[in-house]
Amino acid sequence: MEKLRDGCPSEAFEKDAFELTVEDVYDISYVIGRDLLKISKGGQQVSELQFKIVRVLEMFEALVNKSNLSMEELKMERDNLKRELDRVIAEGSSNDVMGPNKMVVDLTDPNRPRFTMDELKEVLQERNQLKAQLLVAQEELQLYKSGSLPASDQTMVEVDLESPSTLDASPPVSIEETKDEPRDEKTTIKKLFTFRRK
Amino acid sequence: MAKKTYDLLFKLLLIGDSGVGKTCVLFRFSDDAFNTTFISTIGIDFKIKTVELQGKKIKLQIWDTAGQERFHTITTSYYRGAMGIMLVYDISNAKSFENISKWLRNIDEHANEDVERMLLGNKCDMEDKRVVPKAKGEQIAREHGIRFFETSAKANINIEKAFLTLAEDILRKTPVKEPNSENVDISSGGGVTGWKTKCCS
Repeated sequence: MEKLRDGCPSEAFEKDAFELTVEDVYDISYVIGRDLLKISKGGQQVSELQFKIVRVLEMFEALVNKSNLSMEELKMERDNLKRELDRVIAEGSSNDVMGPNKMVVDLTDPNRPRFTMDELKEVLQERNQLKAQLLVAQEELQLYKSGSLPASDQTMVEVDLESPSTLDASPPVSIEETKDEPRDEKTTIKKLFTFRRK
Repeated sequence: MAKKTYDLLFKLLLIGDSGVGKTCVLFRFSDDAFNTTFISTIGIDFKIKTVELQGKKIKLQIWDTAGQERFHTITTSYYRGAMGIMLVYDISNAKSFENISKWLRNIDEHANEDVERMLLGNKCDMEDKRVVPKAKGEQIAREHGIRFFETSAKANINIEKAFLTLAEDILRKTPVKEPNSENVDISSGGGVTGWKTKCCS
């Protein structure tokens, strides 16, 4: 053996088979070679056995070597995968696909947000206009009921939803001054509620 | 034209954090009622109430805004038309008080320069949960030169007084003249009082 490590070479025989290194194999070879030398006076037969033992030890060396290399490769592979995983996780949490101000929407959620702020704004404006018109209509109805308006007009209240009214009624209440909506947008309901004279 | 039942139309606006009680304050004033269930206002809503001040019938069109940030773009577009703005906080909610400066900034950015402002510390019936001393509300109101009331929509404290005071302040700087024809066009009829009597008595 070119380099003897700490301790006795024969300790390699005590080791667990799966923890053997190539050096251990050399230690074993050294011990066996030394013991063979003691009995080598035995002549031809011992000499042949010696060759066979050397051959087995070489095979042993190759196997341990290969096993150790495979172990090393697997460890490197494992470390690489670990680093890759950390990288992917780090990217995913910061800017992978999603920006910092983005939100994930579950498309199967029936209660998911799906109308724009402008659409909501329009709906609210229309709701508030209809509400205002309802208030006006209720006020007028109250007037007719209390007799503040001429009785001859009263029949018109029941029928006049589409034909231009002969009532001396004002246009529907407008709360548009507080809003940005253009005035020419009219819904069917708004048209029905328009008492304005032509 | 049907005869008009009011002399002036004032547009008011309620703003403040979500859940401070803006809608309840308005509901108490308009319908003299209170509801404990919290329903978040969607965007913007309004109520109308006609009051009489100094012999004049004044129709108050009161806009109630959602306090939630997500409605911000909708609600701020209503600041411009307001003649008076009530900024409401909750005396049991420190955050709502801290945000007053944010709401005041919104007024500066989006409302008319001469808008009449008022600060309300609502829920003053909940003395055991109070975290904002009355003095702090008075102080911040003084710093900004605006009126201040502690109110309770639930216990009906100072609600009518607050609205009438705001309306009076607006009336005081309204030039004395007959309402113009544009106002006449806006509405007509028997007044909201008639409708109210019918529905709520």
